[in-house]
Amino acid sequence: MDKTTHFGYQQVAESEKAAKVAEVFHSVAAQYDVMNDLMSAGLHRLWKRFAVAQAGLRPGMKVLDVAGGTADLTRLFLKEVGDTGQVLLTDINFSMLREGRDRMLNEGRTPPAIQCDGERLPFPDDYFDCVSVAFGLRNMTHKDQALAEMNRVLKPGGRLLVLEFSKVWKPLEPAYDLYSFKLLPLMGKLVAKDAASYQYLAESIRMHPGQEELKAMMETAGFAKVSYHNLTAGVVALHKGFKV
Amino acid sequence: MIAESLFERSLNHLLRQSPGTAEALIRHAGASVRFDLAFKQFDFRIADDGCFSEAVVDAPDAVIRPTPALIARLPFFGRDALRDADYTGDPALLATLDRVFKQLDWDVEADLAPWVGDIAAHRLNTISRDALAGIARAFSALGHNASEYLVEEVELMARGVDVARFNQAVDVLADDTARLDARLRRLETRDA
Repeated sequence: MDKTTHFGYQQVAESEKAAKVAEVFHSVAAQYDVMNDLMSAGLHRLWKRFAVAQAGLRPGMKVLDVAGGTADLTRLFLKEVGDTGQVLLTDINFSMLREGRDRMLNEGRTPPAIQCDGERLPFPDDYFDCVSVAFGLRNMTHKDQALAEMNRVLKPGGRLLVLEFSKVWKPLEPAYDLYSFKLLPLMGKLVAKDAASYQYLAESIRMHPGQEELKAMMETAGFAKVSYHNLTAGVVALHKGFKV
Repeated sequence: MIAESLFERSLNHLLRQSPGTAEALIRHAGASVRFDLAFKQFDFRIADDGCFSEAVVDAPDAVIRPTPALIARLPFFGRDALRDADYTGDPALLATLDRVFKQLDWDVEADLAPWVGDIAAHRLNTISRDALAGIARAFSALGHNASEYLVEEVELMARGVDVARFNQAVDVLADDTARLDARLRRLETRDA
């Protein structure tokens, strides 16, 4: 029998999760950026800028943006690495990738946009100076495998940045739960015409490993000097680790 | 996490602003450097482009420890203050680092210009430079005055106990003078 995994609060067969997550993102892709601004009151832009500032990028570096979706991070990375650098935007979901690619085309940029699975990256070993995954790891079925893949494609000394929802500061939990389970689906229904996808978002955040658990997972995957920084009282955490 | 990142970005920014410094470090690409700030250690590896890149380092090739003298002098003496850092490790790498750090020059005006414009940046830079120079002069004058006082003037100054003793002697003398005066007046009256 197929092993099971969580899809929000539901238990589904591992083989079904990717398709279900794909459905969610096909559904929200067109309204993804509007919803991000609305849900986070624009804070997601600051979180992403903070993540890029921690990347330590310099002109000429190679960066892989895993689950990059609408290319928010890719666009910021491109400014850091300059014309001599290389940024690859990847996502498993074509609808999201198309949004990101089109946004960059509209800005006159043409970095490679590659549809691929974060758990099986089609890149050589020891290739990138930096790998990032922002709000993507949560949706992956085998997070340990994805982290191992990111470790494989990083050069020794390269760094991984994981920006992801995390465990919020305890006193804020009741308010955060109210917001996540009542307001988020309502906003999804009104703006993206899809309450279920935003219900999944709230549930998947609760099922995602907390700060310390994710740190341990990164260390198990072979990363060293792993550290994390809570943003907005732990609503989001940025984890950073180095390949040795 | 933030401190490491800020340190790395600031250091690399200074290297980019100071011509020839990153180029000087290129021949040490791959070498590791630890900045030991007592409360925190920052480990870096020199990248292929001569910039510093945060890294995991067990045994660094060079360790740099800023001394209290350096930290105290840094705001006023800038790169000259780096002479007060402690360096240990690979001599060739240390010689390069020492030379590079002494060449680092923060172009404040260039960094301010995108935010406030060229003219305001120039004025702000001039004002802050003059203010720092003024503070440095004030501290220097204070130091000179203090040393002059300690070396020369302190010997000439009367102690509190000596002044009290002197005052007491003056009081005794005043009393004696008054008594003598009274006695003379009495004698003059009797003779008259």
